[in-house]
Amino acid sequence: MSTPLPRVFITGVGVVSPVGLGRVDFFRALAEGKNGVAPIESFDATPLGREMAGEVKGFRPQDHLSVAEVRHTGRCSAMTLAAARMAVADSGISPELLRGPRTAVVIGTTMGEADVIADLDHAWIKRGASAMARSVLVKYGSTLLSVHVARAVGAQGMVLTLPGACAAGNYAIGFAADLIRAGKADVVVTGAAEMIQELQFSGFVRLAAMAPVRCQPFDLNRQGLIVGEGAGLVILESEAHAMKRGARLDAEVGGYGLSCDGYHITRPHPDAVGSIAAMRGAIERSGIGPDDVDFVNAHGTGTRANDAAEAKVMSDVFGARRVPISSVKSTLGHCMGAASALEAIACVMTLETGIYPPTVGYETPDPECDLDVVANVARKGKADVLLNNSLAFGGYNSVVLFARPGALPVPVSILTASVGRLPGPQPSKSGA
Amino acid sequence: MTPRAITGFGVLSAVGIGREALMAALRQPAPKRGPVTAFDVTGYPDAATHVAEVPDFDPTRFLGDKGLRSLDRQTKLLVVAARLALHDSGLKKDGAFVIPGIGPEQVGLCASNAYGSLEAVVELDRVAVLEEARYINPAKFPNTVANSASGYVSIWEDLRALNVTVSDGNCGALDTVTCADVYLETGRAPAIVVGGGEALSEALYVASRRLGSLMEGTLLGEGAALFVLERVESAKARGARVDALVLGTGTAFEPPANDGSLLHASATAMESAVSSALRDAGVAASEVDLVVSGVSQSGVFADAELEGFTRVLGAGVPVAAPKQLLGETFGAGGAMGMATAICWMDGAACGAMARGAVSGKVTTVVVTSLGYYGNATAVVLRRA
Repeated sequence: MSTPLPRVFITGVGVVSPVGLGRVDFFRALAEGKNGVAPIESFDATPLGREMAGEVKGFRPQDHLSVAEVRHTGRCSAMTLAAARMAVADSGISPELLRGPRTAVVIGTTMGEADVIADLDHAWIKRGASAMARSVLVKYGSTLLSVHVARAVGAQGMVLTLPGACAAGNYAIGFAADLIRAGKADVVVTGAAEMIQELQFSGFVRLAAMAPVRCQPFDLNRQGLIVGEGAGLVILESEAHAMKRGARLDAEVGGYGLSCDGYHITRPHPDAVGSIAAMRGAIERSGIGPDDVDFVNAHGTGTRANDAAEAKVMSDVFGARRVPISSVKSTLGHCMGAASALEAIACVMTLETGIYPPTVGYETPDPECDLDVVANVARKGKADVLLNNSLAFGGYNSVVLFARPGALPVPVSILTASVGRLPGPQPSKSGA
Repeated sequence: MTPRAITGFGVLSAVGIGREALMAALRQPAPKRGPVTAFDVTGYPDAATHVAEVPDFDPTRFLGDKGLRSLDRQTKLLVVAARLALHDSGLKKDGAFVIPGIGPEQVGLCASNAYGSLEAVVELDRVAVLEEARYINPAKFPNTVANSASGYVSIWEDLRALNVTVSDGNCGALDTVTCADVYLETGRAPAIVVGGGEALSEALYVASRRLGSLMEGTLLGEGAALFVLERVESAKARGARVDALVLGTGTAFEPPANDGSLLHASATAMESAVSSALRDAGVAASEVDLVVSGVSQSGVFADAELEGFTRVLGAGVPVAAPKQLLGETFGAGGAMGMATAICWMDGAACGAMARGAVSGKVTTVVVTSLGYYGNATAVVLRRA
């Protein structure tokens, strides 16, 4: 059963990342394999035995936000707002067209205003409840990421934060596209943001997920992830809205696939059944086949379990065909909630330039990850249809397909949820 | 929107566990509250006055005693609510899916919380500050992520279609209905569990006190309410009991007139949300029998909410305030409103009124939530 749906386009992007601000600097750095990872400066990580991170160095909120906005925001919201402003400017959309009930805001994150809650918590623990300032208390809550953006652009439609952990960017962009397809919005400011904070850094260390120096996705000797931070926002518009104002079309948002492993709170299912379903769903919902996909932006965290599961997905979906794949987490670090939004923007730039950004640090192929990894140096290639893959805590899987405008058939709604029955290992209910 | 069927729900609230407990409590004028056990109230002598926790909540009764140690209270509440909802809807019996063609791959979850990870963040922060960060418990680290509770629901209840967590403050639970409608419309799953959960914790209590909201008479509650939402034709095809129809939803945001303040009680956003929901539902204002509001206290937010929907519906429509009984539950608030609305449509005495009184049958209800930052959401329900 299928029904034609409106097309949705990305018409502008905004980036705050460890390797630069704005679409041009960001993608130039990715293409050059510039290293965004360095010793962490925002806190003393020495006792944790890990000290590398993809921090956004030198980000000054006051360069992008008003005085009042600086006062109202934590670091995560400030990065979100800065990226939103860049995306709006990049799209060339007028403030009048953004203002009103047909504009929505959907932002993804993992922990949102992590510095705000840390400040409150530390004040409470060290000095008692009266030390928690009311002016700071009202700044806490993930919902504020989208609220700040809505205030800035004058959006009066749905204003929503989707905490989808490390797949949050894809969740936000996918849902935003669905809002337009369902006729509930004409424009959506969407994407995701995350900041590095000591607690979450420590948590990854305690999960033994952190690499000591560098992140080497798909490499035989990979040792884990390196956390990063940033914000990636995009402007989505319906075809009719974009055409009416003569917007530049950066990319079409094709189908996207969602599934949940229902297996383990932090580990991907070893047979990757949910991820496979999500990737197949994204392709199927775009009205094309696996053979049409030119490149896959990997989730590619550099952990043993994730990369192996992702290799299974590639093998299952593409069979013997070796579709080029790369992970920009090797240069950015794993920007958690912001990761798949930043990677979506990398996909947009790949569509524009035909450049597949490299996986830096890929030295020794892993037989368990038998993939065509774009190793160390960018590669030129066909870039009409790309997939952005993401996985997350909670067993969340999301894959979004991006395409060069004109490359996809008219999108359709398909009644499908073709996740296979999970074979093999049983779910872990305790998180152990 | 295309009407959607609510085919069952599970609720844990300050008045008990399960729909029958809620129905019974709504018939009583003033349900009795039990002691506070969710956190250590030593040092908070007035906590019992302001806190309404889920009474006698023993998750082992529903989930067994294995695998619960690293789950936080938020997760336990949400998992139990999901289990109750799936069984109440008839999708599951004795823990297993029983409707041909509807299994784990066909059922999704879209759940809201506003401060869901707070308990875990505070617990681990305490270790980091008082000891060292390297001693935090890795098994509890996933609980610091806002989608953790939803992820655990999928594991415990074997739900493998989409799983989405929503954060929109007080409006989140009603927003999940809009989200699920979009997901149903785009064919992502034939059945989606929607609603929200919020757990009491010392941090939430202390923060509420600091913000002065408890001084104004707010009862701080907790709980979870989840509903099974299906396409009407799917529900009919399987012969499901339909508790209510969702006819329309509306959301709106209005920034404050100046950027000096972050908080914003917006009557205009509420007015837009209700207008939009009625339009979406194809329902006239005159058809509305009752507003189940999110009003929890006197003050600017209650005033704005009342003013907003009164502009659309007039002053003659009775207004219920279930938070008088159930307490403020933030990200679960709208879901608590929906649960009480269904009970009232089902014949429970319609108490906890903020304005007017209900006479006769309750058929069409508008459920509302107003956020603290200029956001508002409304859902139109009709008795099936």
